[in-house]
Amino acid sequence: MSRERNIPPRELLEKWKKEDEEARRIRRESADWNFINKQAPHIRAALIYFIEQGDRYVAARIAGLTIEEFDEIRRKAKIPVVI
Amino acid sequence: MLGVLDACFIIDWSRYRRRKLLSKLFDIMYIHEEVLAQIRSTIAIEYVTELMMRGILRLYAWSDADETEFIRLRDDVSSDPRIPAVERPDILCLIIAKALNAILLSENVGIHRIVEYNPRYRNVSIWTALEVLENMVYKGLITIRDEEEFLDYIREYEEDTAHKFRRRRIEECIERLREWLRK
Repeated sequence: MSRERNIPPRELLEKWKKEDEEARRIRRESADWNFINKQAPHIRAALIYFIEQGDRYVAARIAGLTIEEFDEIRRKAKIPVVI
Repeated sequence: MLGVLDACFIIDWSRYRRRKLLSKLFDIMYIHEEVLAQIRSTIAIEYVTELMMRGILRLYAWSDADETEFIRLRDDVSSDPRIPAVERPDILCLIIAKALNAILLSENVGIHRIVEYNPRYRNVSIWTALEVLENMVYKGLITIRDEEEFLDYIREYEEDTAHKFRRRRIEECIERLREWLRK
């Protein structure tokens, strides 16, 4: 039996889009790109993913690290968690 | 007052210089064992252990009914690509908060968005560290004479955890505090 799916209204999706863009801009501007560019490829990819998406779980998995290990590198890279 | 903690909140809060205040704000806090398993660093483990030894933090007894609810919510979330992806442990925290009528402490954007749009979860209270600090003022755990002093607390948290609160959210919070200070 199918049940009704809860889909966010268009206005909410627009609001989220703006919030995501703002957060991405703050992360990009705050980041220490020298530090990021000196990292091993999988760490660099994880940091860039985090800058773009803001998702610590997935970024940690890309890096092959625990969330806290990734978070330590995130702090060194000066990328804030924007909330 | 009851609270539910997710992994990222614990990881961040355990680094905050005033982390001890949290246990004065809540009577009991709950954690799921899968969330506990995500905590690995010495600083966060020590913090969690201390809270558990004092009986302030407890493991939540997960039930079959909770698991059924998890599957339902996971299907809701994963069936639409416009909804941000959320991990299982974070969904578990949301389900616990709803079941206990507790405040969920989470800074996971996906979880915040579920609460914003999903009618079954709209009544769940969800706080970030910003609302935690704000409520510490109301409860007298943090004393401020004006909004500037509150901003200092925010700056401390941002510094210790490498966080950045959105300006709009800070302004809304300051507005509520101004009202409260006037009384």
